[in-house]
Amino acid sequence: MEQDTIPGETLELIERIGSADMVVGVLQSDPEGEADGAARLVREAVAGLSGVARAVVIHNNGTSYGQASSLNGTEQQDGVVVLPCRLSNPQRSDQPDAYRVIFAAGGKLAARACGVIASDLRAVTAQWICRLVQPSLEKGFDLVTPCYAGHKFEGLLNKSIIAPLNRALYGARIQSPLGPDFGLSGKLLGQILGQESSARAGQPIRLAASITADAISAGLKICETNVGVRLQPPTDWMNLSSLVAEIMGPVFLEMERNAAVWQRVRGSQPVPRFGEPAPMPDQPGNTDVRRMLESFQLGVQNLREVWGLVLPPSTMLDTVRLARLPADQFRMPDELWVSIVYDFALGYRLRTISRDHLLRAMTPLYLGWVASYALENEPAGPAAVESRLERLAKAYEAGKSYLVSRWRWPDRFNP
Amino acid sequence: MWGQVGQSLNQAMVRVLSRFASLLPGLAALIVALLVSVLAASFVAAILRRLLVRIRFDERVLRTGDFPSLAEWSPSKSPALLLTRLIWWAIVLVGFLVGVSALDTAITSELALRVFAYLPGVLAALVVLMAGSIIARFLSRSVLIGAVNMNLQYARLLSAGVKWLVIVLTVAMALEHLSIGGDIIRLAFGILFGGIVFALALAVGLGSKELVSRSLEREASRMPARDAEESFRHL
Repeated sequence: MEQDTIPGETLELIERIGSADMVVGVLQSDPEGEADGAARLVREAVAGLSGVARAVVIHNNGTSYGQASSLNGTEQQDGVVVLPCRLSNPQRSDQPDAYRVIFAAGGKLAARACGVIASDLRAVTAQWICRLVQPSLEKGFDLVTPCYAGHKFEGLLNKSIIAPLNRALYGARIQSPLGPDFGLSGKLLGQILGQESSARAGQPIRLAASITADAISAGLKICETNVGVRLQPPTDWMNLSSLVAEIMGPVFLEMERNAAVWQRVRGSQPVPRFGEPAPMPDQPGNTDVRRMLESFQLGVQNLREVWGLVLPPSTMLDTVRLARLPADQFRMPDELWVSIVYDFALGYRLRTISRDHLLRAMTPLYLGWVASYALENEPAGPAAVESRLERLAKAYEAGKSYLVSRWRWPDRFNP
Repeated sequence: MWGQVGQSLNQAMVRVLSRFASLLPGLAALIVALLVSVLAASFVAAILRRLLVRIRFDERVLRTGDFPSLAEWSPSKSPALLLTRLIWWAIVLVGFLVGVSALDTAITSELALRVFAYLPGVLAALVVLMAGSIIARFLSRSVLIGAVNMNLQYARLLSAGVKWLVIVLTVAMALEHLSIGGDIIRLAFGILFGGIVFALALAVGLGSKELVSRSLEREASRMPARDAEESFRHL
């Protein structure tokens, strides 16, 4: 990653600062009515950490250093330097540019640890930041991923695809492989910066999707930390396919990039988890899955020829049969869902159809899984849901041999 | 008098035979050109076919799904075979035209010149048709996936409408390049294109009145359900 990633004014200031023990990137603006919210949070977090003489906060609050005030006063007061910054796409879930700037700044300042806070600041606490960077600073971990407290119908893309797929591929049981909040050691920062330099010439890497995979592939020490409840904007149902494409595209791309690594991995291991879990938020009341079922059935009626390019005939047949079931009996078997995800990953790799079409065509199938999961788990408690998700993760692991076979011999192996 | 008739007939016979004799080298050249072109075409086609088999052209083309009609048009459902046959015929056609122009008569030379002058138009029409077919397929698939994701019941109708609009436009452009039809094609295209748009408008506005009202009713009944859906978070 080169210095031109960092905006000019911020780079100038970073060069003047020279070095720091820790860099914290805050990607969201301060909550309304709290002008100095991010800086206050980091100051409180630094107070709880040992051995941090100087911390730099890069805050994406839409202003620039020239517009900010009393910077030197802040630094002299408690060793925390706040660099206001304007980064592109602060609302996007993957925030590739923002991650790049923060990692580049961390590298330039030779930081021992780096934290990225991408969640809504109304939910973030000082303890949250502290827990993300502490394992790197004090326990020698290279990557700290977050564990959010959420009810059973939150983080469904993560629960249905990203976490179990990551576990099956790379063998590490991580709750939120895509963060978006992370804690990184200086060692991992150095590795990412090195890879970025080489990737610059070719295809740029989507950082949020590659951090966990890179750390596991390099055999670095990884842990999780309980942070708390994450605030999320309500779902925009009309643009759900864009969300699916935006999240799944980089995941499948990383799969392609790391194929040599994950094909050698067997089974999975848990990673250490720190911090007390936050209390669960209230469970949702009644859930209505009619619309999702309709979307799935409409997909089966109209998208068969598109799905047929990606899915083998046996999977297509099972999908069509599933669409005929009445709502109360609608359950998508784990094996079916896993083979759908693996076949779409393969279709993405082979460019069977336009990649954007492929990912968007996956949305009705995903809604089918969500409907099935919601119907099955509506009355279930947290432990039952946990065990249900564990079963799904094991199905992903069991289906990995199918993925490896199709990945290696896409033309020869077609059940 | 009979003597004069016989003399005239003799002279005519001599003229025809001498004309025919003068054509013989040209005919021989035509036959040689045809034979050489057939040999050259077979040689090029064999090399091309071997090359296409080696790079698994059929699998690559058919697997993308962007050229499904190519398989239907191809002999033995093999686009590689289609391509090699096209190349074979093109080389033979060029050989034939070279042979025809060797006859060295005003008509054949004119014919060869005209055919050669027409070739760029044919090539342009082929390119337009191929590009139009790909664009029609891409757009219809985009519309289909988008409409299904928006839960529109008439997704397939919209997708087919877009596909046929693009195909009609493409065919009209190809015919324009081939200089076939002239104003008739323009007029027919205007009527057909306008007709499709009008039919779609009627289908949605009048013919599908009930469908639309049912859709709206369903949307209205979903309003309370939307609150229940708010419990779901995907990120």
